[in-house]
Amino acid sequence: MSRSIPAWAITLASIAVVLCAWVGVTEGGLVRDLFLPSPADLWSGFLELIDEGYKGRPLLVHVGDSLFRVGAGFVTGVAAGTLLGLAMGYLPKLDALAAPFVEFLRPLPQLAYLILLIIWLGIGETSKITMLFLAALPVAAVAARDGVRNVPAERLRVAQTLGASSWQVFRHVIIPSALPEILVGARLAAGIVYGTLIAAEIIAGSSGIGWMILDAGRFLRSDYVFVGIIMLGLAGIAIDRALLLIEKRAVHWAGR
Amino acid sequence: MLLTRRTTLAGLGAGLALAGRARAAAPSAVNIGFFTETKPTMLAKGEGWFESGVGGKLSWTEMGSGADINTAITSGSCDIGLSTGSAATAAGIAQQLPFKLIGMVDNIGPAEEMTVRTAANIKTAADFKGKKVATPFGSTSHFRLLGFLKTNGLTQRDVTVLDMKAAAIVAAWSRGEIDAAYVWAPAKSKILADGGTPFPTYEALDKAGYVIADLIIVRDAFAQQYPDAVTGFLKAYGKALGMYRAESDKTADIVAKQAGVSPAVALADMKEYDFVPLAEQVTPAWLGGTATDPGKFARVLKGTADFLVEQRSIKTAPALETFQKAIDTSFLAKAIA
Repeated sequence: MSRSIPAWAITLASIAVVLCAWVGVTEGGLVRDLFLPSPADLWSGFLELIDEGYKGRPLLVHVGDSLFRVGAGFVTGVAAGTLLGLAMGYLPKLDALAAPFVEFLRPLPQLAYLILLIIWLGIGETSKITMLFLAALPVAAVAARDGVRNVPAERLRVAQTLGASSWQVFRHVIIPSALPEILVGARLAAGIVYGTLIAAEIIAGSSGIGWMILDAGRFLRSDYVFVGIIMLGLAGIAIDRALLLIEKRAVHWAGR
Repeated sequence: MLLTRRTTLAGLGAGLALAGRARAAAPSAVNIGFFTETKPTMLAKGEGWFESGVGGKLSWTEMGSGADINTAITSGSCDIGLSTGSAATAAGIAQQLPFKLIGMVDNIGPAEEMTVRTAANIKTAADFKGKKVATPFGSTSHFRLLGFLKTNGLTQRDVTVLDMKAAAIVAAWSRGEIDAAYVWAPAKSKILADGGTPFPTYEALDKAGYVIADLIIVRDAFAQQYPDAVTGFLKAYGKALGMYRAESDKTADIVAKQAGVSPAVALADMKEYDFVPLAEQVTPAWLGGTATDPGKFARVLKGTADFLVEQRSIKTAPALETFQKAIDTSFLAKAIA
């Protein structure tokens, strides 16, 4: 076993191989920088963005705006969705009431109602965050509902036999039992909110990383597009890891 | 043995088909990137003139912007770009994309213009300070708007410039969220009718060199393979321009049907554009000129590209000569012959 290659080494090697291929293909002049900018192009594009910003705004403002939108949409959407889902799981009548709307909204592409959001809510942050909120809510709701439904019946009965009130059962038995699924739902929702960011930033842009990628793409500024994509990708991994960490801390008992 | 023979036969068949295609003067399928618009282009499209001029089946794809046409041509999925804006074309030439500019649909003139909300009380350029102005980024209107700001000593710190598609501009306007918009018809007529006032910028900007036009571009490889089809395409547009000049009402009827508007709207829209006849397009007053003695439009494209570099939309702009070389008037010359 001691001679086998550790996983991190394989990861590093795979990144190194892709980087080398990238350098080789671009520096060798095999492809034009329009199609694939070289790492050096990318780096100088990145430094340019840091020095001068993009279209009148510093790069950090673009990043901050995007993170604020993702954060606000995620937190409000997951909070509202989880509360709704918990209630739906606990009260079958409420489930019957709300399920059609949640189920309808969940697979709906956000771009479909983009123009409606502009007409109803305008072009400011409200419409952008609402779009992200609507992306997160149904995912979190379904996860929480299923979490409540999957609580083993004997756990409930034991608590009831011990004389717990329904609120106590809900607070001390159902919520902790459903927590693993709620957190998995939250991670799923984070991915979806993140994926919706570009659609949200189409609404009357001029700020945000998603908008920057769209705008740079119009004139085939591939270097800025790649910088934006790499930043989005790395931030996405960071967000997912952070949620995973919270999940491990909060529900360390899950699966045991 | 059987398998081998079959493979050989199939290979032979494919070879014959290929040879047949290379010999054919007309392409079997041509991809056109276009915009639904109220212009004589829709007459030539609706009456099938483009199709018979090219001599092959046309596949029409509605594009979101001139930038989309550039991208599609670069990837080889678009052969002819119809009515693409001069800003996108200048950027494409600067980036050495594989296309040639072969003709003009129109000189945009005052058809794209600033509209201000009457209630916003904007009378002079200085009144734009602190206001919100929307335009579709990357478009010819965007280029004009930025030119307007620059020539009046305004920056994007003084004025909030918002990137919105035409439909979104109409929606935001109806909610009173923007104070002005630089856009084209039909969005322009809608916001004018909804509490808007024209704010003329065209004449001053045209003099300052911010000329914008809608163009016809063709993918290099396609033009080399099917020069006759390209000429036929321009001829069809020339025929539509001729009919518009002779019978504008009848033209408006057909254009209106294609664009889904009323004939009155189609006619009013068309009157805003300057439809330059093909015979004039070929002169140095527009597209004509040589690499050593470039005409007007090469200068317009060079000026546009330089401005886009200043805006950091593109990295660099080549010399004037490159822009003239990217204009190929040989098809126009054949079309009017």
